[in-house]
Amino acid sequence: MARRNPMRDEIAIVGVGSTEFSRDAGGVSPAKLGAEACIAAIRDAGIDKAEIDGVVGALEPGAPRANQMSAILGLNDITHHSSPMPVAVFALVDAMTAIFSGQADTVLVYYAFTRAPWNSRSAAQDPFRSYLGGMMSGGLKAPPMPESIDPSAAYTAWAQRYIHEYDVPRETFGRVAMNMRANAARNPKAAMKTPLTMEAYLEARMIRDPLCMLDMDIPVDGADAFILTTTERAKQLTPNPVVVHTATAGMVGRNDEDQLPSLARHGQHVVVEALKERSDVWTDDIDVFFPYDGFSIITLGWIENMGFAKPGQAGRWMLDHWDETLGCVMIDGRVPMNPHGGSLSEGASRGTGHLREAVMQLRGQAGERQVHDAKTALIGCGGFFFNSQGAILKRL
Amino acid sequence: MSESVSDAELVERFPWVQITHDSKHHFRGWLDKQLLINCCGDCGKFHHPPKPVCPDCWSENLVPTPVEGKGTVHLAMHLHQGAPAPGVDYAAGPHPVVAVDLEGTDGVRFSSTVVGVPVEEVVIGLPVELDWVERYGHPFPVFRPRGRRREG
Repeated sequence: MARRNPMRDEIAIVGVGSTEFSRDAGGVSPAKLGAEACIAAIRDAGIDKAEIDGVVGALEPGAPRANQMSAILGLNDITHHSSPMPVAVFALVDAMTAIFSGQADTVLVYYAFTRAPWNSRSAAQDPFRSYLGGMMSGGLKAPPMPESIDPSAAYTAWAQRYIHEYDVPRETFGRVAMNMRANAARNPKAAMKTPLTMEAYLEARMIRDPLCMLDMDIPVDGADAFILTTTERAKQLTPNPVVVHTATAGMVGRNDEDQLPSLARHGQHVVVEALKERSDVWTDDIDVFFPYDGFSIITLGWIENMGFAKPGQAGRWMLDHWDETLGCVMIDGRVPMNPHGGSLSEGASRGTGHLREAVMQLRGQAGERQVHDAKTALIGCGGFFFNSQGAILKRL
Repeated sequence: MSESVSDAELVERFPWVQITHDSKHHFRGWLDKQLLINCCGDCGKFHHPPKPVCPDCWSENLVPTPVEGKGTVHLAMHLHQGAPAPGVDYAAGPHPVVAVDLEGTDGVRFSSTVVGVPVEEVVIGLPVELDWVERYGHPFPVFRPRGRRREG
């Protein structure tokens, strides 16, 4: 049964701004990085800042909230603002619905990331990041117990379940990491560009067995920003705007990380059903594929749950579609998977990197990564528990 | 026993977990070495972690019910690094963490570590039973392979 999708193609992304992603941007605050990306996005859209009447900025540790960013940039007369939690499509959908409903006409969306003392040695030495330490424990007076299956640990736990159910080798996960690294080498903004071999993957430091440090997104300093408005207004700015065909979140009721029903039923399945029911296009029609890769297991989930491969077959599928020359997946020899390098190698952007690259590809501005005449992009954002999301972007 | 422990004392004894109005019974149970899992007094369904109403029928008649703690490992991982805790020495070897399908609870899982077995043997499918160790001077629920008793 088709679902309503009154927003179909009605909201456009007309501006993109991004810093480069770095494992150590030096003495720069997330507010500065965020401001830099926002200013770039507003200039890229070719609008005056007075036109912005909505601000949506994600709740990233240390990043300025929407009200703070409005103060930083001197944005006046804002009629919609919010600070949704990560990952990226929460902010995208919030901005879209604000515009579609008339709460605002032109919305600035931004994410700013900063390495925290607990995931970066150099960050631990920056006194201006020390306050972030308290955020890790969530206000507890002692470190949380090692046995809490929090969202990060949970992906490892479910990765082991995946290995158990489908009897796949670690190389399946390594193939995901190699795809991202090879693509990142073609992206000037990426944090990790050194080539990655399967041997190096298998020897990388184990963090939570079965996942090693190369299965986890790389903490970075950086920021991405976007300007959204009505497609009607977008056509005044550019002849072929990039529009959101559909976007959705997805979640099951039993979403506590260790209580999830199974690998066969979680948020990604809800996303896929909603996208298919609201969309005119699906996997055969796309030119670029963006499966989120905050953890490598999430990518395997998207490949299978989007229907590219059968359950347990994502590893086999990647090999079947592997381009030896480029060192990455090219679906049917044509469609790349996270051509910007994803969160594993471009940097942990909570999916804004995927969204930004989708826009650049559809605009034909992706440099040496450009897919010829790319018109449609499919994004599977977030993981299994509370932040599964999806979006389909098109060039009109 | 734990009945005499005030709410303030309860929070003080477990500074490393977030205890709420809804989960206080569960953690009081730890002090008595009882694993209490919420069971709905109306529809009979179990759930965990503790919620303010039954997710199935929305009844507020929730009964923290002692469970035997037998089960099977459903999720498993071996931490090479992680949060510090007494008795957990990552330098000496990986620390196993599991989510166990508890028998007789409609598939509710409880997560902890497994003791009394080499870490390599902590794998999905391992039959386990509940046991208690001390952590920060208070009882802490763990699992051990079923049928193998604590030595000494």
